[in-house]
Amino acid sequence: MSAIGLTAAGDASDPIDRWFPVARGEEVVARHIVQTQLLGREIAVWRDDAGVVNAWENRCPHRGVRLSIGLNTGTELHCRYHGWRYASGSGQCTYVPAHPGQKPAAAMRVGRFGAGEAHGFVWVNLIEPAEPPHLSALASAQATTLRSIYARAPAVTVAACLLRGYRFALDPTGADDSPTDAALVASDAYTIRASVHAVLREAVVTFLLQPVGASQSVIHGLLETTGETSGVDADRLAVLRHHNAQMTALRDAAEELC
Amino acid sequence: MISLYDFELSAECYQVRLMMAALRISYRRIELDVYPNREHESPWFLKINPSGRLPVIEDDGLTLCGTRAILEHLTGRYDPGGRWYPRDDPKTRASIARWLEVAERLAATAGAARMHDTMFEHADIDACRAGAHALFRALDEHLWFAEQSGHGWLCSQSHPTIADLACFPDVMLSEEGGISRLPYPAIRRWTDRVKRIPHFATMSGIFSASPARSALT
Repeated sequence: MSAIGLTAAGDASDPIDRWFPVARGEEVVARHIVQTQLLGREIAVWRDDAGVVNAWENRCPHRGVRLSIGLNTGTELHCRYHGWRYASGSGQCTYVPAHPGQKPAAAMRVGRFGAGEAHGFVWVNLIEPAEPPHLSALASAQATTLRSIYARAPAVTVAACLLRGYRFALDPTGADDSPTDAALVASDAYTIRASVHAVLREAVVTFLLQPVGASQSVIHGLLETTGETSGVDADRLAVLRHHNAQMTALRDAAEELC
Repeated sequence: MISLYDFELSAECYQVRLMMAALRISYRRIELDVYPNREHESPWFLKINPSGRLPVIEDDGLTLCGTRAILEHLTGRYDPGGRWYPRDDPKTRASIARWLEVAERLAATAGAARMHDTMFEHADIDACRAGAHALFRALDEHLWFAEQSGHGWLCSQSHPTIADLACFPDVMLSEEGGISRLPYPAIRRWTDRVKRIPHFATMSGIFSASPARSALT
Protein backbone atom coordinates (compact mmCIF):
# COMPACT_ATOMS: atom_id res chain seq x y z
CA MET A 1 0.00 0.00 0.00
CA SER A 2 1.48 3.34 -0.95
CA ALA A 3 0.95 6.97 -0.10
CA ILE A 4 -0.69 9.02 -2.81
CA GLY A 5 1.34 12.18 -3.23
CA LEU A 6 0.53 13.34 0.27
CA THR A 7 1.19 16.81 1.48
CA ALA A 8 0.20 18.20 4.83
CA ALA A 9 -3.20 19.84 4.49
CA GLY A 10 -4.39 22.17 7.14
CA ASP A 11 -2.14 22.60 10.14
CA ALA A 12 1.39 21.94 8.96
CA SER A 13 2.20 20.39 12.33
CA ASP A 14 -0.43 17.65 11.93
CA PRO A 15 1.41 14.35 11.51
CA ILE A 16 0.50 12.38 8.40
CA ASP A 17 1.90 9.02 9.48
CA ARG A 18 -0.46 8.43 12.38
CA TRP A 19 -3.62 6.48 13.06
CA PHE A 20 -6.77 8.55 13.55
CA PRO A 21 -10.30 7.32 14.28
CA VAL A 22 -12.71 8.34 11.51
CA ALA A 23 -15.98 6.63 12.49
CA ARG A 24 -17.60 4.42 15.09
CA GLY A 25 -17.29 0.90 13.75
CA GLU A 26 -21.00 0.14 14.01
CA GLU A 27 -21.75 3.19 11.84
CA VAL A 28 -19.79 1.70 8.95
CA VAL A 29 -22.85 -0.37 8.09
CA ALA A 30 -23.18 -2.94 5.34
CA ARG A 31 -23.90 -1.64 1.82
CA HIS A 32 -23.11 1.93 2.83
CA ILE A 33 -20.23 4.27 2.04
CA VAL A 34 -19.09 6.67 4.76
CA GLN A 35 -17.78 9.99 3.48
CA THR A 36 -15.16 11.52 5.73
CA GLN A 37 -12.01 13.60 5.60
CA LEU A 38 -8.65 13.41 7.34
CA LEU A 39 -5.97 16.12 7.10
CA GLY A 40 -7.69 17.55 4.05
CA ARG A 41 -7.94 14.20 2.24
CA GLU A 42 -11.43 13.00 1.47
CA ILE A 43 -11.93 9.33 2.24
CA ALA A 44 -14.60 6.79 1.30
CA VAL A 45 -14.87 4.21 4.09
CA TRP A 46 -16.86 1.07 3.44
CA ARG A 47 -17.32 -2.42 4.81
CA ASP A 48 -17.66 -5.42 2.53
CA ASP A 49 -20.07 -8.25 3.28
CA ALA A 50 -17.26 -10.28 4.87
CA GLY A 51 -16.78 -7.46 7.39
CA VAL A 52 -13.51 -6.07 5.98
CA VAL A 53 -13.24 -2.27 6.18
CA ASN A 54 -11.69 -0.30 3.32
CA ALA A 55 -10.52 3.33 3.46
CA TRP A 56 -10.05 4.67 -0.05
CA GLU A 57 -9.28 7.98 -1.61
CA ASN A 58 -12.75 9.39 -2.35
CA ARG A 59 -12.04 9.78 -6.02
CA CYS A 60 -12.56 7.49 -8.97
CA PRO A 61 -9.25 7.20 -10.86
CA HIS A 62 -11.17 7.40 -14.11
CA ARG A 63 -12.84 10.82 -14.00
CA GLY A 64 -12.39 11.92 -10.41
CA VAL A 65 -16.00 11.55 -9.27
CA ARG A 66 -16.50 10.94 -5.54
CA LEU A 67 -16.78 7.22 -4.85
CA SER A 68 -18.98 7.98 -1.83
CA ILE A 69 -21.92 8.68 -4.17
CA GLY A 70 -21.43 5.23 -5.73
CA LEU A 71 -22.69 1.81 -4.73
CA ASN A 72 -21.37 -0.64 -2.16
CA THR A 73 -22.40 -4.05 -3.54
CA GLY A 74 -20.85 -6.00 -0.68
CA THR A 75 -17.75 -7.03 -2.62
CA GLU A 76 -17.04 -3.99 -4.78
CA LEU A 77 -17.63 -0.27 -5.08
CA HIS A 78 -19.28 0.86 -8.29
CA CYS A 79 -18.54 4.38 -9.45
CA ARG A 80 -21.74 6.32 -10.14
CA TYR A 81 -20.39 8.03 -13.25
CA HIS A 82 -19.25 5.34 -15.71
CA GLY A 83 -19.82 2.22 -13.64
CA TRP A 84 -16.20 1.24 -13.09
CA ARG A 85 -15.97 -1.39 -10.36
CA TYR A 86 -13.27 -1.71 -7.70
CA ALA A 87 -12.62 -4.77 -5.54
CA SER A 88 -12.62 -4.70 -1.75
CA GLY A 89 -9.10 -5.07 -0.35
CA SER A 90 -6.99 -4.50 -3.46
CA GLY A 91 -8.90 -1.52 -4.88
CA GLN A 92 -8.21 -3.05 -8.29
CA CYS A 93 -10.61 -2.18 -11.11
CA THR A 94 -12.44 -5.37 -12.09
CA TYR A 95 -14.80 -4.18 -14.80
CA VAL A 96 -15.29 -1.26 -17.17
CA PRO A 97 -18.79 -1.29 -18.67
CA ALA A 98 -17.65 0.51 -21.84
CA HIS A 99 -15.11 -2.30 -22.49
CA PRO A 100 -16.83 -5.41 -21.16
CA GLY A 101 -14.44 -7.82 -22.88
CA GLN A 102 -11.21 -6.29 -21.64
CA LYS A 103 -9.40 -7.07 -18.42
CA PRO A 104 -8.69 -3.75 -16.69
CA ALA A 105 -4.99 -2.88 -16.44
CA ALA A 106 -3.26 -3.28 -13.08
CA ALA A 107 -2.73 0.49 -12.93
CA MET A 108 -6.49 1.01 -12.79
CA ARG A 109 -6.67 0.95 -9.03
CA VAL A 110 -8.06 3.32 -6.41
CA GLY A 111 -5.82 5.00 -3.87
CA ARG A 112 -5.93 3.11 -0.59
CA PHE A 113 -5.16 4.15 2.96
CA GLY A 114 -4.39 2.02 5.98
CA ALA A 115 -7.61 0.96 7.73
CA GLY A 116 -8.24 -1.01 10.89
CA GLU A 117 -10.70 -1.47 13.73
CA ALA A 118 -9.96 -1.11 17.43
CA HIS A 119 -11.82 0.04 20.54
CA GLY A 120 -15.09 0.32 18.63
CA PHE A 121 -13.72 2.72 16.01
CA VAL A 122 -12.49 2.51 12.45
CA TRP A 123 -8.99 3.99 12.26
CA VAL A 124 -7.19 5.33 9.20
CA ASN A 125 -3.51 5.98 8.56
CA LEU A 126 -2.78 7.99 5.42
CA ILE A 127 0.73 6.55 5.01
CA GLU A 128 1.66 3.07 6.04
CA PRO A 129 -0.56 0.62 7.82
CA ALA A 130 0.86 -1.09 10.86
CA GLU A 131 -1.73 -1.57 13.59
CA PRO A 132 -4.21 0.81 15.14
CA PRO A 133 -3.14 1.90 18.61
CA HIS A 134 -4.00 0.19 21.83
CA LEU A 135 -5.41 2.84 24.14
CA SER A 136 -7.44 1.31 26.90
CA ALA A 137 -7.21 3.44 30.00
CA LEU A 138 -8.86 1.07 32.43
CA ALA A 139 -8.37 -2.63 32.81
CA SER A 140 -11.50 -4.79 32.63
CA ALA A 141 -13.76 -1.81 32.10
CA GLN A 142 -17.01 -1.55 30.19
CA ALA A 143 -16.40 0.51 27.08
CA THR A 144 -18.94 2.50 25.07
CA THR A 145 -18.31 4.62 22.00
CA LEU A 146 -20.08 7.96 22.29
CA ARG A 147 -21.71 9.96 19.51
CA SER A 148 -18.96 11.59 17.46
CA ILE A 149 -19.35 15.38 17.17
CA TYR A 150 -18.27 17.41 14.14
CA ALA A 151 -16.81 20.81 14.97
CA ARG A 152 -16.17 23.75 12.69
CA ALA A 153 -12.96 24.30 14.62
CA PRO A 154 -9.50 22.74 14.20
CA ALA A 155 -8.40 19.93 16.49
CA VAL A 156 -5.88 22.22 18.21
CA THR A 157 -8.69 24.58 19.27
CA VAL A 158 -10.90 21.74 20.50
CA ALA A 159 -7.97 20.37 22.53
CA ALA A 160 -7.28 23.78 24.05
CA CYS A 161 -10.95 24.17 25.05
CA LEU A 162 -11.03 20.70 26.52
CA LEU A 163 -7.92 21.27 28.62
CA ARG A 164 -9.45 24.42 30.11
CA GLY A 165 -11.94 22.17 31.86
CA TYR A 166 -14.48 19.47 31.21
CA ARG A 167 -17.38 18.25 33.31
CA PHE A 168 -19.51 15.15 33.23
CA ALA A 169 -21.64 13.11 35.61
CA LEU A 170 -20.41 9.74 36.75
CA ASP A 171 -23.95 8.41 36.76
CA PRO A 172 -26.35 10.63 34.77
CA THR A 173 -29.36 8.50 35.74
CA GLY A 174 -28.61 7.94 39.41
CA ALA A 175 -27.50 9.64 42.58
CA ASP A 176 -24.37 11.24 41.11
CA ASP A 177 -26.23 12.96 38.30
CA SER A 178 -24.64 16.40 38.56
CA PRO A 179 -21.60 17.00 36.35
CA THR A 180 -18.30 17.32 38.15
CA ASP A 181 -14.91 18.55 37.02
CA ALA A 182 -12.93 15.80 35.36
CA ALA A 183 -9.21 15.30 35.80
CA LEU A 184 -7.61 15.91 32.40
CA VAL A 185 -4.50 14.32 30.93
CA ALA A 186 -3.29 14.86 27.38
CA SER A 187 -1.37 11.88 25.96
CA ASP A 188 -0.66 13.85 22.82
CA ALA A 189 -2.24 16.64 20.76
CA TYR A 190 -5.15 14.41 19.68
CA THR A 191 -5.74 12.18 22.70
CA ILE A 192 -7.07 13.62 25.96
CA ARG A 193 -8.43 11.63 28.89
CA ALA A 194 -11.06 13.04 31.22
CA SER A 195 -11.73 11.04 34.37
CA VAL A 196 -14.19 11.27 37.25
CA HIS A 197 -13.79 9.17 40.40
CA ALA A 198 -16.04 8.18 43.26
CA VAL A 199 -15.92 5.46 45.89
CA LEU A 200 -15.46 2.13 44.09
CA ARG A 201 -16.36 3.75 40.79
CA GLU A 202 -14.52 5.43 38.01
CA ALA A 203 -15.37 6.74 34.55
CA VAL A 204 -12.92 7.85 31.90
CA VAL A 205 -13.74 9.48 28.59
CA THR A 206 -10.89 9.22 26.12
CA PHE A 207 -11.35 11.98 23.56
CA LEU A 208 -9.86 11.19 20.18
CA LEU A 209 -9.65 14.14 17.83
CA GLN A 210 -9.86 13.61 14.08
CA PRO A 211 -8.25 16.53 12.23
CA VAL A 212 -10.59 16.90 9.24
CA GLY A 213 -8.74 19.86 7.77
CA ALA A 214 -7.47 23.31 8.58
CA SER A 215 -10.72 24.45 10.18
CA GLN A 216 -12.71 21.35 11.08
CA SER A 217 -12.38 18.34 13.31
CA VAL A 218 -14.39 15.49 14.75
CA ILE A 219 -14.51 14.79 18.47
CA HIS A 220 -14.73 11.05 19.07
CA GLY A 221 -15.24 9.73 22.58
CA LEU A 222 -14.70 6.38 24.24
CA LEU A 223 -16.34 5.99 27.65
CA GLU A 224 -14.94 3.40 30.03
CA THR A 225 -16.50 2.73 33.41
CA THR A 226 -15.68 0.49 36.33
CA GLY A 227 -17.93 -0.36 39.22
CA GLU A 228 -21.64 -1.01 39.21
CA THR A 229 -23.63 -0.36 36.08
CA SER A 230 -27.30 -1.17 35.78
CA GLY A 231 -27.08 -2.39 32.20
CA VAL A 232 -30.60 -1.11 31.59
CA ASP A 233 -31.07 0.09 28.04
CA ALA A 234 -32.87 3.28 29.08
CA ASP A 235 -29.86 4.11 31.23
CA ARG A 236 -27.52 3.48 28.33
CA LEU A 237 -29.47 6.01 26.23
CA ALA A 238 -29.43 8.52 29.09
CA VAL A 239 -25.64 8.13 29.38
CA LEU A 240 -25.26 8.63 25.62
CA ARG A 241 -27.49 11.73 25.74
CA HIS A 242 -25.57 13.17 28.69
CA HIS A 243 -22.19 12.84 27.00
CA ASN A 244 -23.64 14.09 23.71
CA ALA A 245 -24.79 17.25 25.51
CA GLN A 246 -21.42 17.78 27.21
CA MET A 247 -19.49 17.21 23.99
CA THR A 248 -21.84 19.53 22.08
CA ALA A 249 -21.12 22.23 24.63
CA LEU A 250 -17.40 21.62 24.07
CA ARG A 251 -17.93 21.94 20.31
CA ASP A 252 -19.84 25.20 20.77
CA ALA A 253 -17.07 26.60 22.96
CA ALA A 254 -14.43 25.68 20.37
CA GLU A 255 -16.47 27.19 17.54
CA GLU A 256 -16.85 30.41 19.56
CA LEU A 257 -13.08 30.84 19.37
CA CYS A 258 -13.01 30.51 15.55
CA MET B 1 -57.02 9.09 -12.40
CA ILE B 2 -55.07 11.61 -10.32
CA SER B 3 -53.40 14.44 -12.22
CA LEU B 4 -50.18 15.95 -10.87
CA TYR B 5 -49.07 19.39 -12.02
CA ASP B 6 -45.40 18.74 -11.86
CA PHE B 7 -41.90 20.09 -12.43
CA GLU B 8 -39.20 17.44 -12.63
CA LEU B 9 -36.56 19.48 -10.76
CA SER B 10 -38.82 20.64 -7.93
CA ALA B 11 -38.00 19.10 -4.54
CA GLU B 12 -41.61 19.68 -3.42
CA CYS B 13 -43.09 17.94 -6.47
CA TYR B 14 -40.65 15.11 -5.81
CA GLN B 15 -42.14 14.63 -2.32
CA VAL B 16 -45.46 13.90 -4.00
CA ARG B 17 -43.92 11.60 -6.61
CA LEU B 18 -42.18 9.65 -3.81
CA MET B 19 -45.51 9.22 -2.01
CA MET B 20 -47.35 8.19 -5.19
CA ALA B 21 -44.65 5.62 -5.96
CA ALA B 22 -44.59 4.19 -2.43
CA LEU B 23 -48.39 3.81 -2.45
CA ARG B 24 -48.35 2.39 -6.01
CA ILE B 25 -50.73 5.08 -7.24
CA SER B 26 -50.82 5.57 -11.00
CA TYR B 27 -51.21 9.17 -12.04
CA ARG B 28 -51.00 11.51 -14.99
CA ARG B 29 -48.22 14.11 -15.02
CA ILE B 30 -48.80 17.58 -16.42
CA GLU B 31 -45.30 18.93 -16.79
CA LEU B 32 -44.76 22.69 -16.42
CA ASP B 33 -41.74 24.52 -17.74
CA VAL B 34 -40.98 26.32 -14.48
CA TYR B 35 -37.38 27.02 -15.34
CA PRO B 36 -36.56 28.92 -17.45
CA ASN B 37 -40.01 29.79 -18.81
CA ARG B 38 -41.91 30.33 -15.52
CA GLU B 39 -44.97 28.52 -16.77
CA HIS B 40 -46.31 28.31 -13.20
CA GLU B 41 -46.95 32.07 -13.50
CA SER B 42 -48.88 31.73 -16.76
CA PRO B 43 -52.60 32.66 -16.86
CA TRP B 44 -53.75 29.07 -17.49
CA PHE B 45 -51.99 27.71 -14.40
CA LEU B 46 -52.99 30.65 -12.16
CA LYS B 47 -56.60 29.64 -12.81
CA ILE B 48 -55.78 26.26 -11.25
CA ASN B 49 -53.66 27.58 -8.39
CA PRO B 50 -53.83 31.37 -7.93
CA SER B 51 -50.69 31.25 -5.75
CA GLY B 52 -48.73 29.99 -8.74
CA ARG B 53 -47.06 27.22 -6.75
CA LEU B 54 -46.42 23.57 -7.44
CA PRO B 55 -47.26 20.82 -6.74
CA VAL B 56 -51.00 20.63 -7.37
CA ILE B 57 -53.08 17.49 -7.72
CA GLU B 58 -56.58 16.91 -9.03
CA ASP B 59 -58.29 13.83 -7.66
CA ASP B 60 -61.94 12.97 -8.20
CA GLY B 61 -63.04 16.59 -8.52
CA LEU B 62 -60.80 17.82 -5.68
CA THR B 63 -57.99 20.27 -6.41
CA LEU B 64 -55.25 20.36 -3.75
CA CYS B 65 -52.20 22.61 -3.53
CA GLY B 66 -49.12 22.20 -1.36
CA THR B 67 -47.18 19.16 -0.27
CA ARG B 68 -48.61 18.90 3.23
CA ALA B 69 -52.25 18.85 2.09
CA ILE B 70 -51.41 16.48 -0.75
CA LEU B 71 -49.49 14.01 1.42
CA GLU B 72 -52.29 13.97 4.00
CA HIS B 73 -54.88 13.43 1.29
CA LEU B 74 -52.97 10.64 -0.46
CA THR B 75 -52.33 8.71 2.75
CA GLY B 76 -55.89 9.27 3.97
CA ARG B 77 -57.38 7.95 0.78
CA TYR B 78 -54.86 5.41 -0.54
CA ASP B 79 -53.08 4.00 2.54
CA PRO B 80 -55.82 1.99 4.24
CA GLY B 81 -53.40 0.54 6.80
CA GLY B 82 -52.40 4.06 7.86
CA ARG B 83 -48.74 3.15 7.92
CA TRP B 84 -47.49 6.42 6.41
CA TYR B 85 -49.62 8.70 8.59
CA PRO B 86 -51.07 6.67 11.46
CA ARG B 87 -54.66 7.66 12.18
CA ASP B 88 -55.09 6.72 15.83
CA ASP B 89 -51.67 7.49 17.22
CA PRO B 90 -51.61 11.06 18.60
CA LYS B 91 -47.95 10.94 19.63
CA THR B 92 -46.77 9.88 16.20
CA ARG B 93 -49.06 12.42 14.52
CA ALA B 94 -47.62 15.19 16.70
CA SER B 95 -44.10 14.04 15.86
CA ILE B 96 -45.00 14.02 12.17
CA ALA B 97 -46.38 17.58 12.45
CA ARG B 98 -43.08 18.67 13.95
CA TRP B 99 -41.01 17.14 11.15
CA LEU B 100 -43.31 18.47 8.43
CA GLU B 101 -42.55 21.91 9.86
CA VAL B 102 -38.82 21.06 9.65
CA ALA B 103 -39.38 20.06 6.02
CA GLU B 104 -40.76 23.54 5.35
CA ARG B 105 -37.70 25.10 6.99
CA LEU B 106 -35.46 22.82 4.91
CA ALA B 107 -37.21 24.12 1.78
CA ALA B 108 -36.64 27.71 2.92
CA THR B 109 -32.92 27.12 3.53
CA ALA B 110 -31.35 24.15 1.72
CA GLY B 111 -34.04 24.29 -0.97
CA ALA B 112 -33.66 28.03 -1.47
CA ALA B 113 -29.86 27.65 -1.71
CA ARG B 114 -30.30 25.07 -4.45
CA MET B 115 -32.78 27.26 -6.34
CA HIS B 116 -30.30 30.12 -6.03
CA ASP B 117 -27.38 28.11 -7.39
CA THR B 118 -29.15 26.14 -10.11
CA MET B 119 -32.07 28.34 -11.21
CA PHE B 120 -30.80 31.81 -10.29
CA GLU B 121 -33.53 32.58 -7.77
CA HIS B 122 -32.84 35.48 -5.41
CA ALA B 123 -31.75 34.43 -1.94
CA ASP B 124 -29.40 35.41 0.87
CA ILE B 125 -27.20 32.45 0.05
CA ASP B 126 -25.01 32.60 3.17
CA ALA B 127 -28.04 32.74 5.44
CA CYS B 128 -29.69 29.87 3.54
CA ARG B 129 -26.61 27.65 3.88
CA ALA B 130 -26.08 28.52 7.56
CA GLY B 131 -29.74 27.81 8.26
CA ALA B 132 -29.53 24.48 6.45
CA HIS B 133 -26.43 23.43 8.41
CA ALA B 134 -28.20 24.25 11.69
CA LEU B 135 -31.16 22.09 10.65
CA PHE B 136 -28.87 19.30 9.45
CA ARG B 137 -27.07 19.26 12.82
CA ALA B 138 -30.37 18.79 14.65
CA LEU B 139 -31.52 16.20 12.13
CA ASP B 140 -28.28 14.22 12.38
CA GLU B 141 -28.48 14.17 16.18
CA HIS B 142 -32.13 13.11 16.12
CA LEU B 143 -31.43 10.29 13.65
CA TRP B 144 -28.40 9.07 15.60
CA PHE B 145 -30.50 8.65 18.74
CA ALA B 146 -33.29 7.09 16.69
CA GLU B 147 -30.78 4.45 15.56
CA GLN B 148 -29.58 3.94 19.13
CA SER B 149 -33.21 3.44 20.15
CA GLY B 150 -33.56 0.71 17.57
CA HIS B 151 -35.43 2.38 14.74
CA GLY B 152 -34.29 4.22 11.68
CA TRP B 153 -36.97 6.80 10.90
CA LEU B 154 -37.80 10.33 11.97
CA CYS B 155 -40.94 9.51 13.95
CA SER B 156 -40.28 6.52 16.23
CA GLN B 157 -41.99 4.03 13.97
CA SER B 158 -40.88 0.72 12.56
CA HIS B 159 -42.13 2.10 9.25
CA PRO B 160 -41.27 5.41 7.54
CA THR B 161 -43.91 8.14 7.60
CA ILE B 162 -44.77 11.10 5.41
CA ALA B 163 -42.27 13.07 7.54
CA ASP B 164 -39.37 11.04 6.08
CA LEU B 165 -40.61 11.63 2.53
CA ALA B 166 -41.17 15.35 3.19
CA CYS B 167 -37.67 15.94 4.57
CA PHE B 168 -35.74 13.68 2.18
CA PRO B 169 -35.72 15.72 -1.09
CA ASP B 170 -34.17 18.96 0.16
CA VAL B 171 -31.65 16.99 2.24
CA MET B 172 -30.65 14.72 -0.64
CA LEU B 173 -30.35 17.62 -3.11
CA SER B 174 -28.42 19.87 -0.71
CA GLU B 175 -25.10 19.58 -2.51
CA GLU B 176 -26.67 21.35 -5.51
CA GLY B 177 -26.94 24.33 -3.15
CA GLY B 178 -23.38 24.03 -1.89
CA ILE B 179 -24.28 22.23 1.35
CA SER B 180 -22.09 19.17 1.98
CA ARG B 181 -23.45 16.28 4.01
CA LEU B 182 -19.98 15.02 4.98
CA PRO B 183 -20.40 16.25 8.59
CA TYR B 184 -23.72 14.39 8.98
CA PRO B 185 -23.06 10.63 8.93
CA ALA B 186 -26.40 9.69 10.53
CA ILE B 187 -28.23 11.70 7.85
CA ARG B 188 -26.24 9.85 5.18
CA ARG B 189 -27.26 6.47 6.60
CA TRP B 190 -30.91 7.59 6.77
CA THR B 191 -30.86 8.70 3.11
CA ASP B 192 -29.68 5.18 2.19
CA ARG B 193 -32.62 3.74 4.14
CA VAL B 194 -35.09 6.05 2.39
CA LYS B 195 -33.66 4.97 -0.96
CA ARG B 196 -34.37 1.35 0.00
CA ILE B 197 -38.09 1.95 0.66
CA PRO B 198 -39.93 -0.36 -1.75
CA HIS B 199 -40.82 1.37 -5.04
CA PHE B 200 -38.54 4.31 -4.25
CA ALA B 201 -38.67 6.87 -7.08
CA THR B 202 -35.51 8.58 -8.29
CA MET B 203 -35.21 12.02 -9.85
CA SER B 204 -32.55 14.03 -11.62
CA GLY B 205 -29.61 14.10 -9.17
CA ILE B 206 -30.99 11.38 -6.86
CA PHE B 207 -29.98 7.79 -7.53
CA SER B 208 -31.10 4.49 -6.11
CA ALA B 209 -29.06 2.63 -3.47
CA SER B 210 -27.46 -0.79 -3.82
CA PRO B 211 -29.71 -3.60 -2.53
CA ALA B 212 -29.66 -4.01 1.24
CA ARG B 213 -27.70 -7.02 2.43
CA SER B 214 -30.69 -8.46 4.25
CA ALA B 215 -32.75 -8.36 1.06
CA LEU B 216 -30.31 -10.77 -0.54
CA THR B 217 -29.79 -13.33 2.19
